[in-house]
Amino acid sequence: MNTRVILSIILISFGSIAAILPKQKTSSVQLDADDLLREIRLETNLVSTDELADLLINLDPGLMLIDVRDSVAYSKYHLPGAINIPLNQLLDEKWMPYIDQVSKNNIFYSNGTTLSSEAWILTRQLGFKNNYVLYGGLNRWFETIIKPSQPGSMATSVEIDRFNKRKAASLYFTGSSGASDMNSAPALPPVPRKKKKRVAGGCS
Amino acid sequence: MKEKLRQPKPYMNPYLAGILLGLVLLASFYLTGRGLGASGATRSVVIGAVTSITPEHAESSGYFSKYLGDNQMKTWLVLEIAGVIIGGFLSGAWAGRLKIRVEHSPGISKRKRIYMASLGGLLFGFGSQLGRGCTSGAALTGMSVMSMAGFVTMMAIFGTAFVLAYFFRKNWI
Amino acid sequence: MGPLVPLQNISNELNLLIAFVIGLGFGIALEQAGFSSSRKLAGMFYGYDATVLKVFFTAAMTAMLGLIFLNFVGLIDLDIVYVNEYYVYSAIVGGIIMGAGFIIGGFCPGTSFTAAAIGKIDAMWFILGSMIGIFIFGETFVFWKDLYMSGYQGAIKISDVIGIRDGYFALLLILVATLMFWVAEMAEKKFKREDITKEI
Repeated sequence: MNTRVILSIILISFGSIAAILPKQKTSSVQLDADDLLREIRLETNLVSTDELADLLINLDPGLMLIDVRDSVAYSKYHLPGAINIPLNQLLDEKWMPYIDQVSKNNIFYSNGTTLSSEAWILTRQLGFKNNYVLYGGLNRWFETIIKPSQPGSMATSVEIDRFNKRKAASLYFTGSSGASDMNSAPALPPVPRKKKKRVAGGCS
Repeated sequence: MKEKLRQPKPYMNPYLAGILLGLVLLASFYLTGRGLGASGATRSVVIGAVTSITPEHAESSGYFSKYLGDNQMKTWLVLEIAGVIIGGFLSGAWAGRLKIRVEHSPGISKRKRIYMASLGGLLFGFGSQLGRGCTSGAALTGMSVMSMAGFVTMMAIFGTAFVLAYFFRKNWI
Repeated sequence: MGPLVPLQNISNELNLLIAFVIGLGFGIALEQAGFSSSRKLAGMFYGYDATVLKVFFTAAMTAMLGLIFLNFVGLIDLDIVYVNEYYVYSAIVGGIIMGAGFIIGGFCPGTSFTAAAIGKIDAMWFILGSMIGIFIFGETFVFWKDLYMSGYQGAIKISDVIGIRDGYFALLLILVATLMFWVAEMAEKKFKREDITKEI
């Protein structure tokens, strides 16, 4: 048997094996459990409701709010400008460009912190960056921003300042400008461009 | 006087050589994430020459300015081509194929062969810049990563060569 | 996990050394295959020598299968490996010009360096010509700029364009290549040129 025949047999065999191999999406940037635990404990992924109020009032361009509750809850009420990605759809192909990107800061929120934390762990483990959790979720949003509790008579000046800020924010969000956003789902922003580590190549 | 007739060793089986080349290419991908290339190295040499003679000209050129760096010759492709030259030399030396000559068909003169080689080089150099690669970088490497660009470039190169072969047959056979 | 240089933050100096060693392998493979001879390369287009086809396709298939298998066992991240960017018009027009250069000059840049390394003077002239060609391109770039930049489609893969999996495409290509090996060897017998073959 000459080389051509041997080679063809080898190539076709390997080719057939290659054809039936499942599509493997290897990602070199996935985190292992230790790294993940470290980040969770550092709590750098948390955004407080005060911080969020600031970002919204200042119309921060890098902000992207993602409501991870189901669509019914979303249509009843959602934060201004938020898009809805229910947690069970989070890893769908069509949402990938929104959660795996480096241009915007995604803040996951839900009623409390459970669902949004789950969303964060899933995406962080896959190596995606720029994803955060709204600490306390919508419940805390209502407690602190929409209906902030009056500080007691022993309050420090810091607490009084914060209360005043929250009161102002509450007006902002429940005033006429806030109300119109609540019921309409905003148009999906343009798909962000993904920047992955690229090598030079070809003849360049 | 003893005449030792040194016959050069025969060429390697082409399929085997292909596997060897494929393994080198694969190693390149695994180690560096990129494949092989050649025309980019020639371009670096050209830019290096231009910058050493008239630096401002290279900077003002719409095309060359994109490739300016601190050291023109310290690029991946230039080092690779240095390896190609030495590797080719070593292989030729081992096989007894080292010989300074102009290789041409007996049907044409040495001088004509040199003209043809220069003209072919000129066209290839120009085309490799426009086509963003040559047979090593675009066609071979491109095919193995299944890139559309590699495939199209390869078809264009080989297709054209086949079509024009008839008109240049006197140079070869 | 590969590719090592980008993922393991390997220094540039080591990267260049690797380039050199890879080049050594490249040069040895080319020369051993006989690509340092322009008459052997040109033989592809006249039928008497199909070495180009055999080496080229075998190499591409080997590397392609290698990538698929390495990816499957998690040894390489294919998203990082460079995929050529597709600019429609520059690929086609550039390819046509290169094809002309190939049949006239009998070399391509990689093989010209290999041939020059073993003393072929015509290869050296080819290299000189290509440097002038590159220079001319740079100088007249303003005329070609639109053509050069037009038709950008991104770094797309054929398997994406046709819509089949990488593995299927590899098998398809292997079947085509195997067919071509048979056709090539038949052509070599039919267009046999003993006078040339024993010289190169």
